[in-house]
Amino acid sequence: MGADLFYLRPKKLDDALEFLGDHGKETSIVAGGTDVMVNLRSGELKPKYLMDVSRLPELKRIEIKDGGLRIGAGVTISDIYTSPILTRLAPTLQKASYKFASKQIRNVATIGGNVAHCSPCGDMVPPLIIHEAKVVLKNSGGERTIPIQDVPTGPYRSSIDPEEMVVCFMLKPKENLFSDFQKIGRRKELAISRASMAVMAEKDVEGKITFMRLALGSCTPTPQRSTDVENLLIGKVPSETLLWEAGQMVVNKMIETSGIRSSTVYKERAVQGLFMRMLFPLVKHE
Amino acid sequence: MKLEQHMVPICFILNGKQVEVEVTAGETALHTIRERLFLKGTKEGCAIGECGACTIVVDKKAVNACLMIAAQLDGREVMTVEGLAKFEGLNSLQEAFLEHHAVQCGFCTPGVLMSAHALLKENPNPNREEIVKGISGNLCRCTGYRHIVSAIEDAANQLSEEKE
Repeated sequence: MGADLFYLRPKKLDDALEFLGDHGKETSIVAGGTDVMVNLRSGELKPKYLMDVSRLPELKRIEIKDGGLRIGAGVTISDIYTSPILTRLAPTLQKASYKFASKQIRNVATIGGNVAHCSPCGDMVPPLIIHEAKVVLKNSGGERTIPIQDVPTGPYRSSIDPEEMVVCFMLKPKENLFSDFQKIGRRKELAISRASMAVMAEKDVEGKITFMRLALGSCTPTPQRSTDVENLLIGKVPSETLLWEAGQMVVNKMIETSGIRSSTVYKERAVQGLFMRMLFPLVKHE
Repeated sequence: MKLEQHMVPICFILNGKQVEVEVTAGETALHTIRERLFLKGTKEGCAIGECGACTIVVDKKAVNACLMIAAQLDGREVMTVEGLAKFEGLNSLQEAFLEHHAVQCGFCTPGVLMSAHALLKENPNPNREEIVKGISGNLCRCTGYRHIVSAIEDAANQLSEEKE
């Protein structure tokens, strides 16, 4: 830090994108700053420019657009928690926002920052995955849209070009269904997730699962959707045995992706337990 | 248009008074408040947003001053622990902390007070669980939190009685 660092706060998104076009490689984008400031302090991040996008109105909206749910990248975690639209259309995301870091951090940290940081433990990512979110990236020349899973290429590595910025997320809204997000951490508040899971499911009158989305965070280099498990459960009436089998599938997939690590002996039980705890309500017949 | 600035002149409201100050591009709000404006009530604990000792209130919201770029204070309304007490003396939240022995070493206290202040502005009648959630971004290694929670509960009751 020090003499060769510059600060700028463009007033419009276009100005920000133009600056990134010229200086993207030497620029750190700052919204909430809750990750950037830590890395700046540790020396991990050595930008020439800090570009403050925390006040760009273009990034702040939550709205329904073309039948999709559009969440601006600059929406804070607190905004997500208090948004009535999200209570209705993306309750899992809202549950994740309640368990996110601390009040102080939720008040400034943004969903765009959480995704762009590409931590395997980003709590916004599993809910975005189950809503099949698309990420809209812009540069000064135009925009492209990629699936949320394609943003991280590994832990803390992203496929976002230095000249680009995350502008918003387009989610498939889902109403009136079973949904949950839970995580396991070393303490309740401010814990970095050791395992996190987001789920949405729907049952028909016979009790068969007709719709299911499941994603696991913090256990693989990048958060993963579990399509195998979704396919196993769809069309079946869930029993405890079936769920146990599905939970094993999640665990096996985790080990297949991450290999056996020192934490595996803990995580295979924890993930199975988390899965059972979260999905067990589906077994009960109303 | 010149976009980038090395030294950034900023202007904001601090505890009710307008201040103007020049800050460097990467310095934290915490540094500005303590070292340039000489308000030493706000503490640096961990400096990475884990402990909450540096909590201040910006536009009515509790934030970690150690994670906020000073330049982001520009145009904002900022409150530090020094802004709580009035001319007549301590405010009711501070009095409640004294009465309930919610302070031991005192290092976390300014941050806890700011979190509690923001909580009561947002939710004047919090239950115990909401109080715990509201201050769980603040670590205290002395009190075990019970006295702190009771103090905030008491202050909330007093404030709502005063309103009636």
